[in-house]
Amino acid sequence: MLASLVNVTKRYRTTEGVRDLTLHFPAGQIVGVLGLNGSGKSTLLKLIAGLLFPTAGEISVFGGTPRGNRARTVFLGETDTLWPWMTPADAGRFMDGLYSDFDPVRFGELLDVLEVPRRKTKAMSKGERGRLRLAMALARSAKLYLLDEPLAGIDLISREKIMMSLVREWHTDETILLSTHEVAEAEGLFERAVYLRDGGLVLDVAVEELRRDGKSVVQTFKEVLA
Amino acid sequence: MTTETWILDMDAGPIFEQIGRNVREQLARGDLRPGDKLPSARDLAATLSVNPNTIVHAYGELEAQGIIEKRRGLGTFIREDAPVETMRKDMLREIAETFVNEVRRLGVETDEAMAVLKEAWDAG
Repeated sequence: MLASLVNVTKRYRTTEGVRDLTLHFPAGQIVGVLGLNGSGKSTLLKLIAGLLFPTAGEISVFGGTPRGNRARTVFLGETDTLWPWMTPADAGRFMDGLYSDFDPVRFGELLDVLEVPRRKTKAMSKGERGRLRLAMALARSAKLYLLDEPLAGIDLISREKIMMSLVREWHTDETILLSTHEVAEAEGLFERAVYLRDGGLVLDVAVEELRRDGKSVVQTFKEVLA
Repeated sequence: MTTETWILDMDAGPIFEQIGRNVREQLARGDLRPGDKLPSARDLAATLSVNPNTIVHAYGELEAQGIIEKRRGLGTFIREDAPVETMRKDMLREIAETFVNEVRRLGVETDEAMAVLKEAWDAG
């Protein structure tokens, strides 16, 4: 297993982020982490990324602690932390200095594929910044990618480009956890779907099996989360 | 090959089966012919925004059915001996059976159904 959670709970000051989650992620899966806002999607990804510490339970990533393996895990957060003065070239130098697994050549290719304009981020649209952030994340060659809502609040064309890049860049031994509430567009990507509600696991299912019963990921989303 | 030839419906069963059916239909219609090259699994996956493993699965099934073959270093092709005629007939039979079942559920006699079929055919 690349990552495992056993009976993991994360309690914030007043609320529960996730509750008693047990999940195992082997190598080579694209997993949809699905749920409404506040269902615990971000908390789950941040726990695996080693950015949050669980209140209870055990998490192992690459056989060690999440925190100890942060350098081997790619986390793309929901918040846009790009400096306004940064150009894509600046962002590339920044990532290159920060991560030993960052590939500047691949980054350049990704900027082309995702059609990221070569100007300062303050002059980019939200979609363009989203594409730049994805290029920064995917230019690292890791085995575990945690992508938190990479499609949220981004225009349709950007979303399509992002999904196409994910399909092209994914190696079959890598695992991607992608959280989204834009289920309809992304559902073809997923081999497995994990549905969360109020921090708890509602359903963990192989997507093609779901379709065998005549159901889509979207339909199931409505059924189990309604 | 255009994107429009690959229409997926997420509510209509496993995607790997839909891809397989799609290829068989394109063969039956003559849009694909023996010897034609199929897009690589990765390309088709990107075009359709579908997990590459799903396409690999679909191609594996088509290979097992004797419809396509991998040519090493060249890609995936429709087999020269792909049973196109059989596929056409199977599909036609399937359509006919659907028609018959629907007509039976209506409680309509054979003669009347055939007459209406002929009428619809001529009108189309």
